[in-house]
Amino acid sequence: TASNELQPLESMISDAERFKNSEYLTLQCSCGSSFKFGGIQASKDYMITHHGVQCNRCSTNFSNLRVTSQLEKIIRANISLYYSGWLYCDDVTCGIVTRQISVYGRRCIGHSGKAHGCKGIMRYRYSDKQLYNQLLFFDSIFDVDKAKKRSLKPLYEEQGEEDKENVKPITQGALDALCEQNRDFFDICRGVINRYLNNSGRRYVDMGSIFEFMVPEQKA
Amino acid sequence: DSKKFKFKTMRQKLLESADVLDDQIDSFANIIQQHYQFDSFVFGNPAIASQNEIVAIGRIVPDSPLIPQDAILNSDSLYLETSRLNGIGQRVPLNLKNIENYSFFLGQIVCLKGLNPTGESFVVKEIIQLPLLGAPVTSKKELKEFNKLQQNQSIKIIVCSGPYTSNSNLDFTYLVDLVERINNEIKPHLVIMLGPFIDITHPKIADGSIEIPNLSKQPDTLQDIMKTTVSPILKTINNKIQVLIIPSLKDVNSNHCAYPQDSLDKKLLALPKNFKCFPNPCSFQINEILIGISNNDIFKDLKDVTRGDSDKQNRFDRIANHIIEQRRYYPLFPGSMKTKKVNSIQNNINKNEYSTKEEELIEHISGADLDIPYLGLSEFSDVIPDILIIPSELRFFARVVKNVVVINPSNFMRQNSPGTYVVLSISPPDLGENGLTKIDENKTTNEDDQLYIHDVWKRARVDIFKT
Repeated sequence: TASNELQPLESMISDAERFKNSEYLTLQCSCGSSFKFGGIQASKDYMITHHGVQCNRCSTNFSNLRVTSQLEKIIRANISLYYSGWLYCDDVTCGIVTRQISVYGRRCIGHSGKAHGCKGIMRYRYSDKQLYNQLLFFDSIFDVDKAKKRSLKPLYEEQGEEDKENVKPITQGALDALCEQNRDFFDICRGVINRYLNNSGRRYVDMGSIFEFMVPEQKA
Repeated sequence: DSKKFKFKTMRQKLLESADVLDDQIDSFANIIQQHYQFDSFVFGNPAIASQNEIVAIGRIVPDSPLIPQDAILNSDSLYLETSRLNGIGQRVPLNLKNIENYSFFLGQIVCLKGLNPTGESFVVKEIIQLPLLGAPVTSKKELKEFNKLQQNQSIKIIVCSGPYTSNSNLDFTYLVDLVERINNEIKPHLVIMLGPFIDITHPKIADGSIEIPNLSKQPDTLQDIMKTTVSPILKTINNKIQVLIIPSLKDVNSNHCAYPQDSLDKKLLALPKNFKCFPNPCSFQINEILIGISNNDIFKDLKDVTRGDSDKQNRFDRIANHIIEQRRYYPLFPGSMKTKKVNSIQNNINKNEYSTKEEELIEHISGADLDIPYLGLSEFSDVIPDILIIPSELRFFARVVKNVVVINPSNFMRQNSPGTYVVLSISPPDLGENGLTKIDENKTTNEDDQLYIHDVWKRARVDIFKT
């Protein structure tokens, strides 16, 4: 918030940009193969059929519960990691990473452990914004309308050309059909994610605190 | 107030967390000053050099912010953190060589008498005991009414705590057996069931290799398992028996994944009228008896540095004593954390795993998940409960500590074998000569207003059964 630069509205940023730092959903197949799942798009590891996700190594279809339980497990691990409350010091000469919190919050405890000496500022390493974005990313990969428009975060952006060549793109006709065939199940997955998004304080702006100045003071 | 547990999660503000941590120190400073009637000038800042003995109040913290979670602490590795008010938040090394008997843990609020002659460390001369909250009391009139209601029968309560399946499957047969025994043999007044009902860290959930036996259609989501498999079993509990459901941080059915934790949604679980869903932690009364319950494994997580008599004392007694003294169900800070080392060659796709060494990654699994700004909800109210129920995956126990009945029913199912549950029976309050303890200070002309301590520890019997 200290920055004076003009920031684009979050909703106008592409998924690739917005979810740049988000972790992929890793799916594990019964054959032992595990791969990153990026929604309905071309992948060398999995295929979307009209029955959902299919592993390319063993051609087995994932059951609904196999997908939703792994999805939910990774969401919960992320929330728990957030609550482990790791902080880091922004002074590069110090840079401690700790779960200790000073009674001043932002003050660095420093290598001495005595809470004086270092002028750095402590921040949560896994911020609530990052967690919120992570959940939105999981939501996006099950968003069939985004898949149709090919606006999902790509699976292979940062990798070599080799990967891209090995993956045959899906034609628009096939893509549209797959999206409709998988819509019901993908909505179930989004339901799983939205249970947690709905409990996120990040989703709700506290109007009370923003408009506090307009509320007449209560007289004791 | 259960409504307060409905706060939105995943939005901790560092400054709000710090306010709560600061306030924990200052509120104990007030309690101590009022209790011991100390003059305010005896309090001092232990972090600065002084020639006079002072009284310092602060939090036990480690000597280094970089200590690993599983580090074993010793008497040389403890610092005292001061509040903003009494020491501008500085932390000072503790010198404990003069103290013969102690038990300290990270996050503990302590009151110490001593001095800091050189400015280097605070030399402790004496530990000043934190004053305890009082026991709950009830008037003769009310106790008589409870006796009438109970028809002089003992109150019988079953306590069990998840997981309810072993680690190798999601088979709830043992729960079916328990319900059968509840209905036909034990016939309790109340059943207290603690989560996890379906554990998010269950190995079959982690890899998604779940199959629910005897279902025509496999469920789509983990929530469906509760509705299609667990709730139908629970519903067969005789509807005249009250059932309390308290969640765990590992419960798939909770979307409030933080401690203090909101109650589960009874409607979503499709549970009938005789079920009540309570938050974690919670306290409530059965007639006069005050029961406090917390489902966050402090008995496993709290590791203290001890010396002298404390060292010889039973560890569970020591921790229960700390909980009672600190007036909160989970006094450890930072809370515990469970991680797993994973090989980076196979798992290099997850950016959220953080690297300690080049070739080794740490994957976060679960934790105490403390939402620090709301930790006030995990404090005792104005009295100590008569009965404390805090499940732990450690071995079951029932002990009397400071006249409080402290119970760990342990897991209903262990990793690969059946576990344990508890049947608690409490005889009705006896108002005769050798019965409950009268409160003497409460001199009253009306006999019915005479107050009594509940003495539940003298009236309770705890039986532990194999699942």
